[in-house]
Amino acid sequence: MKLTLKEKLGNFSFVIPALALFLVFSLYPILRTFELSVFQWNGIDKDMVFVGLAQYKHILFNNPAFWKSMTNAGIITLLALTLQNGLALLLALLVTKNIRGENIYRTIFFLPPVLSGIVVGLIWKFVFDGNFGILNHFLAGIGFTNFIDYAWLSEVKTALFSVAVVHMWKGFGYGFIILLAGLQTIPVELYEAAEVDGADAWQQFKNITFPLLIPIFTIVTILTILGSMQIFDLIYSMTRGGPAGHTHVPITKIYEYMANGEFGYSTAMAVIFGLVLLIISFAQIYASKKLNYDK
Amino acid sequence: MSRLRIFAVVNLCFALMLGAFTGCTPREAKPKADVVIWHWMTDRQAAFEKLTEDYYKETGIRVLFETYAPTDVYKNKISAAATANLLPDVFNPMGDKKEVAAYINADFIADLTEEMNIDGWKDIFFEKALAQNTFEAGNEWNVKPGIYAVPLDVNSLMIYYNKDLFKQAGLDPENYPKTWPEFIEAGKKLRAANIQPFVSGFGEGWLIGAFAQSYQWNLFGRDGIISVLEGKTPYTDARWVRIFQLFEEMRNNRLFASGIVTMVNKDAERSFATGRAAMAFNGSWGVNVYNSMNPDLNYGVMPPPYLPEGKFPLLLFGGEGSSFFVNAASPNKQKAIDFLRWMTQSGPQTFLAKETLNIPSNREVAQDLPPVLRIFSENIKNTFEPLPKVESWQVTNFININLQSVIIGERTPQSAAAEVQAEKERQMKGK
Amino acid sequence: MTIYKIKKVLNSTLIHAILMSVALTCVFPVFWMISSSLKTQDQIFKSMSLLPGSLLDIFSWNWSNYIVAFVKADFGFYFFNSVFYTVVGVFFIILIASMAAYAFSRLQFFGKNVLFYMLIATLLIPIPGVFVPLYLLLKNLGLLDSRTGLLLCYISNGLAFAIFLLKGFFDQLPKEVEEAALIDGCSRFGIYWRIALPLAKPAIATLVIMNSLTIWNEFLLALVVLQDKAKMPIQRGLMVFQGTFITDYPMLMAGLTIATIPIVIVYLLMQKHIVKGIASGALKG
Repeated sequence: MKLTLKEKLGNFSFVIPALALFLVFSLYPILRTFELSVFQWNGIDKDMVFVGLAQYKHILFNNPAFWKSMTNAGIITLLALTLQNGLALLLALLVTKNIRGENIYRTIFFLPPVLSGIVVGLIWKFVFDGNFGILNHFLAGIGFTNFIDYAWLSEVKTALFSVAVVHMWKGFGYGFIILLAGLQTIPVELYEAAEVDGADAWQQFKNITFPLLIPIFTIVTILTILGSMQIFDLIYSMTRGGPAGHTHVPITKIYEYMANGEFGYSTAMAVIFGLVLLIISFAQIYASKKLNYDK
Repeated sequence: MSRLRIFAVVNLCFALMLGAFTGCTPREAKPKADVVIWHWMTDRQAAFEKLTEDYYKETGIRVLFETYAPTDVYKNKISAAATANLLPDVFNPMGDKKEVAAYINADFIADLTEEMNIDGWKDIFFEKALAQNTFEAGNEWNVKPGIYAVPLDVNSLMIYYNKDLFKQAGLDPENYPKTWPEFIEAGKKLRAANIQPFVSGFGEGWLIGAFAQSYQWNLFGRDGIISVLEGKTPYTDARWVRIFQLFEEMRNNRLFASGIVTMVNKDAERSFATGRAAMAFNGSWGVNVYNSMNPDLNYGVMPPPYLPEGKFPLLLFGGEGSSFFVNAASPNKQKAIDFLRWMTQSGPQTFLAKETLNIPSNREVAQDLPPVLRIFSENIKNTFEPLPKVESWQVTNFININLQSVIIGERTPQSAAAEVQAEKERQMKGK
Repeated sequence: MTIYKIKKVLNSTLIHAILMSVALTCVFPVFWMISSSLKTQDQIFKSMSLLPGSLLDIFSWNWSNYIVAFVKADFGFYFFNSVFYTVVGVFFIILIASMAAYAFSRLQFFGKNVLFYMLIATLLIPIPGVFVPLYLLLKNLGLLDSRTGLLLCYISNGLAFAIFLLKGFFDQLPKEVEEAALIDGCSRFGIYWRIALPLAKPAIATLVIMNSLTIWNEFLLALVVLQDKAKMPIQRGLMVFQGTFITDYPMLMAGLTIATIPIVIVYLLMQKHIVKGIASGALKG
């Protein structure tokens, strides 16, 4: 169908407000920061020193701490993708089983995402505390007495995992609510027919629920990846990247450089980090499209 | 959609009603201020406001204090305002000497040397407080020598100890450990009595670094430290390895409170105030903090115990606590300076000291302080001496991180020192 | 009772046990927050009790924190400001984003794909230092220290994701109804407004919740961009309670409780729509 110019312009007017705002308030500042990433600048000096791609080179080859922080975020993301979304799916499946109080559960499970990071940080520090923490008391109560005095957030072995647990706890509500919505749209007749055919619960899940939920999974996965890779508040309020840097993530690293007057360098870090996210997300979208067509 | 619109309207009405009820809709136009000060000390806002009222009555000049907290947000705001040339009349860039130098070199901060010489203004301060706001001739950032900020209060970092817990562990509360071996012994006794011996906000890098630096002064002395900073003495020197060993010794004798490497100072303060740890490495502001958390806490304060093998005196982290810088481009520069001059006189300083329990920068006023604060103020003279160079933040960061590594037993003192030295060499090469 | 029935009862007991244990962990922080807000500073530090006092004598609890928060700490107008920013911000994000998303999904125009991918790309690049160029930009536009300036930043910040989500949603709506309407002489805008938008309710409800949360909790940009206390959002009030040296925990918790309630209300209002079928289109299409 060929469109006239007038129609094209008319169509274009739909995106004008978005485009205008986007160009001025998103793209322009981003381009400015891209520009910054090839300068050495402390944010104050009147003149910036042009260094080309030197800062990129330094980050890529001489900054193992940054790449370690990337790995840390990657681990948190993988845990969130599996455990957090697994929990979200399990709870959504259970809640759809026509049980009583569905509404109440739905409300309660969304409380953690709503809560302020300050409250969450305070509470969970209190849970993980070595001497007075609820967790160690509980473990001692069920017989694991060797955990008395064990500071979960301060030991190399458990710090990252503990932070990840809190992150997943705070985030599962989102996935839960979206998956629940998806589940409720699957026609009951499909299950009834399957039951007549003698399919058990697992087969029903595999052949009906899962394939029909793939578009929803895509949204949930992307939200999880973005939210987990860019984790910041919880780390800052619980460990500040410690012990000895073992829970640093890209954003805390970038902030650390910025706080120390390395404006140019930290924006170069941000650009690299952004590119990594871009690649992951597009790979993910591509994969889910593939899955969608194959079914 | 209609649902959404209804929701929006309902919400707006609700908000409007709320605003009307609390009487907080459009407030009366603010009186225009002559001098605007941006600060980060939320707890002192009330005291500051009281002072500005007095000042207005005295001089007819209006001063406005505006709070932006926490400090990292404040710092962001200052740097954004600097780039846009919109700094207030008085502020603080909240950085180390290198960062302050950048502000001075970009003409954002006024040179106060001449003002400080009028009527001997500079003589009312603790020397150490002024020293940190002073750039010496030949400094590495090419800043014109002079005084660039007005200190409001001073502080120093020492070890608080809980007298009741000392007694409980069979230690003499009036006779605190003076040397390092005595300190370790005391810690062991506390641990044996089931008391956590030592707490501090070692999750915040600068505090762990401050503790280590005291021993750097103890072992290296001024010239030795400069030699390290210049890269002539490596961090793998036996004395720096010894500093890392101190932390290992504390670890091996179980002196550290559980979770110390990720603890922020507010949690450490809470721990000490509630008697969950017997000793706390903390600044003089702690007096006010402990007082608000537990007024009955029975404690004393001691300097970090010195090393018998140390050839130099052990010095304390501290000096200037909070300072104000004047905007060089402000049309109200003189008014701002006059106000700061007034604020550091004995009247306002006495008031501030009483209200906020900090050590005033004005030496004479610091004479009549409560007992513990007096010990701190007497120790201001023992704080670090100003140095012509500072360590790069990356190396400082590596020191702090590797100290944490030693505490959690991830590294030996030797390997930690080697790590720091490797980073030092990377930074030297980068320059 | 038949075995089948017993099995069913056991089954539902197990389900409830799982759901309740998770629910308990979600409720506890809220309970703790509210309980702490009714304690005194002294109680917080000295007693480990979960309740602020005897259940029989709730008048002895420290209710004054709430009064102090509203009267002395100016929570009243901070609260009003936050509601204003959130309502206006979210409204425009959804209006502008849904128009654009509809165009990206249904209409043809020049540079469509390039524009769309550019939008998505910016969604993925977090620039922590971005507030400095933003600050300069607002200064040049004369929008520093203005509600409009802050709102424009919030709105543009929420657009990319909203467009992404809504486009995916529109893509999966059946086209037949719209084509019929077009033949009947309905304008493109009319179709968007009367047909597509109402069908997008679930996605819109999701976006309302997500963007309300973001705007409500934002404080860095607000504190950097705004000067005038009277325009500051509620997060600024919370910051003051945290104190540079001393944290007034009961006050902070009272403030947090006040700040949490509106978002819970938004969620309660919106969740029905989401659950009604975020993917109704997706699954039928």
